[in-house]
Amino acid sequence: MSACDTAAVKPAEVKLVPKDRGGIINPMYDCQPAGAQFAGIGVKDCIPLVHGGQGCTMFVRLLFAQHFKENFDIASTSLHEESAVFGGTKRVEEGVMVLAKRYPNLRVIPIITTCSTEVIGDDIEGTINNCNRALKAEFPDRHIYLAPVHTPSFKGSHVSGYAECLKSMVKTIAKTKGTPNGKLNLIPGWVNPGDITLLKYYMKEMGVDANMLVDTEDFDSPMMPNKVIDTHGRTTVEDIQESANAVATVSLARYEGATTGEYLKDAFEVPHNLVNTPYGIKNTDDMLRKISEITGKDIPESLVRERGIALDALADLAHMFFANKKVAIFGHPDLVLGLAQFCMEVELEPVLLLIGDDQGSKYKKDPRIAELKASAHFDMEIIHNADLWDLEKKIAKGEVKLDLIMGHSKGRYIAIDANIPMVRVGFPTFDRAGLYRKPTVGYKGAMELAESIANAMFAHMEYTRDREWILNTW
Amino acid sequence: MPMVLLECDKDIPERQKHIYLKAPDEDTREYLPIANAATIPGTLSERGCAFCGAKLVIGGVLKDTIQMIHGPLGCAYDTWHTKRYPTDNGHFNMKYVWSTDMKESHIVFGGEKRLEQSMNEAFDEMPDIKRMIVYTTCPTALIGDDIKAVAKKVMKERPDVDIFTVECPGFSGVSQSKGHHVLNIGWINEKVETLEKEITSEYTMNFIGDFNIQGDTQLLQTYWDKLGIQVVAHFTGNGTYDDLRCMHQAKLNVVNCARSSGYIANELKKRYGIPRLDIDSWGFSYMAEGIRKICAFFGIEERGEALIAEEEAKWKPKLDWYKERLQGKKMAIWTGGPRLWHWTKSVEDDLGIQVVAMSSKFGHEEDFEKVIARGREGTYYIDDGNELEFFEIIDLVKPDVIFTGPRVGELVKKLHIPYVNGHGYHNGPYMGFEGFVNLARDTYNAVYNPLRHLAGVDIRDKAQSTPVILREAA
Repeated sequence: MSACDTAAVKPAEVKLVPKDRGGIINPMYDCQPAGAQFAGIGVKDCIPLVHGGQGCTMFVRLLFAQHFKENFDIASTSLHEESAVFGGTKRVEEGVMVLAKRYPNLRVIPIITTCSTEVIGDDIEGTINNCNRALKAEFPDRHIYLAPVHTPSFKGSHVSGYAECLKSMVKTIAKTKGTPNGKLNLIPGWVNPGDITLLKYYMKEMGVDANMLVDTEDFDSPMMPNKVIDTHGRTTVEDIQESANAVATVSLARYEGATTGEYLKDAFEVPHNLVNTPYGIKNTDDMLRKISEITGKDIPESLVRERGIALDALADLAHMFFANKKVAIFGHPDLVLGLAQFCMEVELEPVLLLIGDDQGSKYKKDPRIAELKASAHFDMEIIHNADLWDLEKKIAKGEVKLDLIMGHSKGRYIAIDANIPMVRVGFPTFDRAGLYRKPTVGYKGAMELAESIANAMFAHMEYTRDREWILNTW
Repeated sequence: MPMVLLECDKDIPERQKHIYLKAPDEDTREYLPIANAATIPGTLSERGCAFCGAKLVIGGVLKDTIQMIHGPLGCAYDTWHTKRYPTDNGHFNMKYVWSTDMKESHIVFGGEKRLEQSMNEAFDEMPDIKRMIVYTTCPTALIGDDIKAVAKKVMKERPDVDIFTVECPGFSGVSQSKGHHVLNIGWINEKVETLEKEITSEYTMNFIGDFNIQGDTQLLQTYWDKLGIQVVAHFTGNGTYDDLRCMHQAKLNVVNCARSSGYIANELKKRYGIPRLDIDSWGFSYMAEGIRKICAFFGIEERGEALIAEEEAKWKPKLDWYKERLQGKKMAIWTGGPRLWHWTKSVEDDLGIQVVAMSSKFGHEEDFEKVIARGREGTYYIDDGNELEFFEIIDLVKPDVIFTGPRVGELVKKLHIPYVNGHGYHNGPYMGFEGFVNLARDTYNAVYNPLRHLAGVDIRDKAQSTPVILREAA
């Protein structure tokens, strides 16, 4: 079916609907404490302490190891029955002291609650006061920041947990407004080291002194001759303290950190600018323009060139290979909505978007959904509170015919069983090598993603003998 | 040598009781690590929770059963895509997880209706599946949802389904071991002898405590087929729910993993008089011994000898090739518990490898009795080892290879030490004769990996040159 046929028959319809089941089969996201742990490891000299059962930590560490092929340090209070009956705050106090004693460089401990400790009702703020007294007595020369992070698993998802922990760490560490430092706070959201590297390059090219909250570039860390282990966040306590003195904050992800930008505005009058997550050309243009407007720095020739290289590559692919191809996208809401916008730029048709968790009312207000509604020339369904069974079932029942799936590795069997090409994006992508190193944001990210899509389609054409001869000459 | 207090444990001296360095003329009457005791909060232990011991390790292996997890979505997400236990029906068990996706309102008003809805939805969505295990999690146990009553109601309304319930929230016990226990005892109490299957051989057994990691169960099944032994139930590798209801029909219980599954073998002995025979399925000499014991029980010794001769003729030359090259290499084993005593002597006898350090996550003192009896002098035996202890032990024993999980594997990679997945294997199966050649091959490929030698080279150092690593064809 061509685009003009669709337009001729009826106007395109874009529906935003919730999943029609209560339970979940194959969740798209992990729970809040998992997201909180991810934000915590983004800070240097920080070990999150998860107040809950041991599985809440062990599996999340494994998840991060699967995605990044790295180890991250996260501690547990190892909650057991007696804490369930009598409360578990003593175990928090013991955990904090054990961490402080055994890790002399430790400076930040986010104390992350879970469903069990929220149901028990442990007083985390009161416990932190006790811990602060004990730390002061035992280590008078050290200041360890203890951030209370309330992340019951029965609310939100790892997306909201990430936002909650970031905000709590900033609230705990950035306490006073000092001298303006001329820096720009950049809150990238839950992205890969490859994205962070690219964003930092953009800021450097523009001459903008950016304070990245948080900087996960070293989540891709080397094997060195001296066997040093440098797998940790780069954002320091000082960086967080300085966030109060910035000229402005630019948040790149509505659901993954924008609440921290709002906090910095309310507490320290740092102007907050929320832009669309920079997936695709226009979103990247808008981000760079906004940063240029705030900082007064010009967008340099090098980025105009990078943009041109990306457009040049995309132009080879869009109307030749991508046009009218039907795509489903699942994952984090900022990723899914951003990639849907990107798809529209390269003539892919994102007919099915799946975004998770219980934030339906927030999604209704998302301007990106309004934009998709206004711009889609084909029918589009956006399912919120979705699970991966929604996608699997729609494919199995023939309710959606797809040429491509974009999403994370948890959906791999849907693509394998239905024999649909799938490009891994988002988190986690443990079944493909090295994706954490590649950017998806920015011009370069758009180009690399498009090329991954094209190559996945080409391989599929060859394995299914579907007009593979087209590529005999290209 | 008494118990060891490591430098990193000077602030948590109770850890000394958990670490033993075996010296000549000592025995376990004097020195035995304390095990199966609560973890010290904040130590970065490797342990998981009781829920995962039940769901992920045992129940979730079954190839025909919905695993309904009553709780927030994280417990489902986290126990998905973390295991390699295929099945002969397309890996149903690895493709799906189910969660009731508990929200705050269910915590406040009770989650039984949500559970009932989710159970019915799951059966409706997957109409071919008629069996289900329902698990509580921390919050649903704390609020006191009666999952047994809900299961009873659903079974009444759906006469063709059968449902088993497991009540072991993550905070119960000190590790995943508690979950093994709860599932074992629950199953024998409620499900064994609720069904009779057709018996096709005079030689019948249950094979207990083997979870088909990378096809272990399926490889061993070829032996039982050759011997003419009918396996009534596999607990639980490649197993079915209904076979496990027929466990009372077997004449012999053969136990591989005594830690996770010895409980049900003991109960089958007590209640039905079925003898328990423990074997080791890893290693040539152990496997041969196991086959001999099983065949002696049934009086089919000749068949056993013929099988052993056939397998050894086929695989022993390959094993010996690796043995020649692995002789004297030093291995550390950091896994769950039983694999310490399954492997330490088998890699020594069959491959000439010295196991120099071992850490168990959830072994009991009984496991340490076994491993210290089988293990070498000069070897460290550690209960619930944590990250700083691992670094210190590595420094003390300098292993050539570590059998452990992927996360720790990523950590030791930075120290230029290769790892082999001691849980899910690299390229298994590892059980049986062929399997142990696979283990030998993976160990050889790890130990002789050129990259670890390249990693030690500092290209700034003019005195060093980058070596060419020569390897023989295997």
